[in-house]
Amino acid sequence: MNHRTVPDPGGTHAGGPRALDWSLAIAGGVLLTLMTQANAVLAEHTDALYASWAAHAIGAVVAFVLVATVARRTPPATPPAPPGSSAAAQTATPPAAPGPGGGRMPRWYYLGGIPGALVVVLSAVAVNSELALAGTIALMLTGQVLFGTVSDHLGLLHTPRRRVKPMDLAVAGCVLAGSVLIVLGGA
Amino acid sequence: MLFFVVLALLNGVLIGVSRTVNGRLSTRKGAFRASVWNHVVGFAFLSAILLVLRTWPDVTDAPVAAYAGGVFGALFVAVNSHVFPRLGAMSASVLVISGQVLSAVVIDCVQQRALPAPVRLAGVALVLLGLALPRLSARLRQSEPCPDPSGPN
Repeated sequence: MNHRTVPDPGGTHAGGPRALDWSLAIAGGVLLTLMTQANAVLAEHTDALYASWAAHAIGAVVAFVLVATVARRTPPATPPAPPGSSAAAQTATPPAAPGPGGGRMPRWYYLGGIPGALVVVLSAVAVNSELALAGTIALMLTGQVLFGTVSDHLGLLHTPRRRVKPMDLAVAGCVLAGSVLIVLGGA
Repeated sequence: MLFFVVLALLNGVLIGVSRTVNGRLSTRKGAFRASVWNHVVGFAFLSAILLVLRTWPDVTDAPVAAYAGGVFGALFVAVNSHVFPRLGAMSASVLVISGQVLSAVVIDCVQQRALPAPVRLAGVALVLLGLALPRLSARLRQSEPCPDPSGPN
């Protein structure tokens, strides 16, 4: 089926450009597991704070090298998106707060690293409580999905507002329940 | 106990906030530059915490390979920042979590040379079912004579 005939803005159709984004997101999860594994080994030999600090330093260097080599060309998603990329246009069209087009970018766009780094410290506290590692991870996954749902629904942090459909909730419910079983189910 | 539950949930929210903000940055600067900023800012923040806490572990016996986490992290943030604004926070989070838990089960399997426990297998089945749901329902709808107008996806 040609995906042009079926407009599917923000839908969960697997197919067309959406299938690539799906695969990329799942591959991202695999990368995250590999990162967690390596960081856990490092934390075992040192401590959690140092491990994350070192990983950020190396990550900064690696990302910089990637920019210098892979992403030399100017930033891709400048909002007047080329007509071919439907998904890119989709992110740009709903006017997200102060003009997404030529408007000035808020400074806080640069600060995504802070909440990310804060998690390292706070999760170390939670893991050392009665929750232990499995309980902490299960709750962190739950928090992520809850945030995603609320954020999409309300359009938080300049993200395009998206209607959360029953199917999205069903998918999230299955994945979350399955993940909690995996995390709590032991090896 | 409740405090720690809320703290762990809040951690999940912070992860979502971080990925959303990085996703916003990537729409302006590109995914790889978003990854650079994430790591530089996070590094500065953690440096400040290290300075305040004045903790410095013995780092001499850490295997060099364990530092590869930073490489995976740089790639992850780039990939995630790219897909986050395109898929929406909820779908992106759910898909990343799926990839995360499924690959973790596979890695454990390989490392321990044993099948996962039944509870875990049930979890894997649920995750896969969740990922397949949109396709399954699309197929069901195609075979039905009158499609349900309420669910156009």
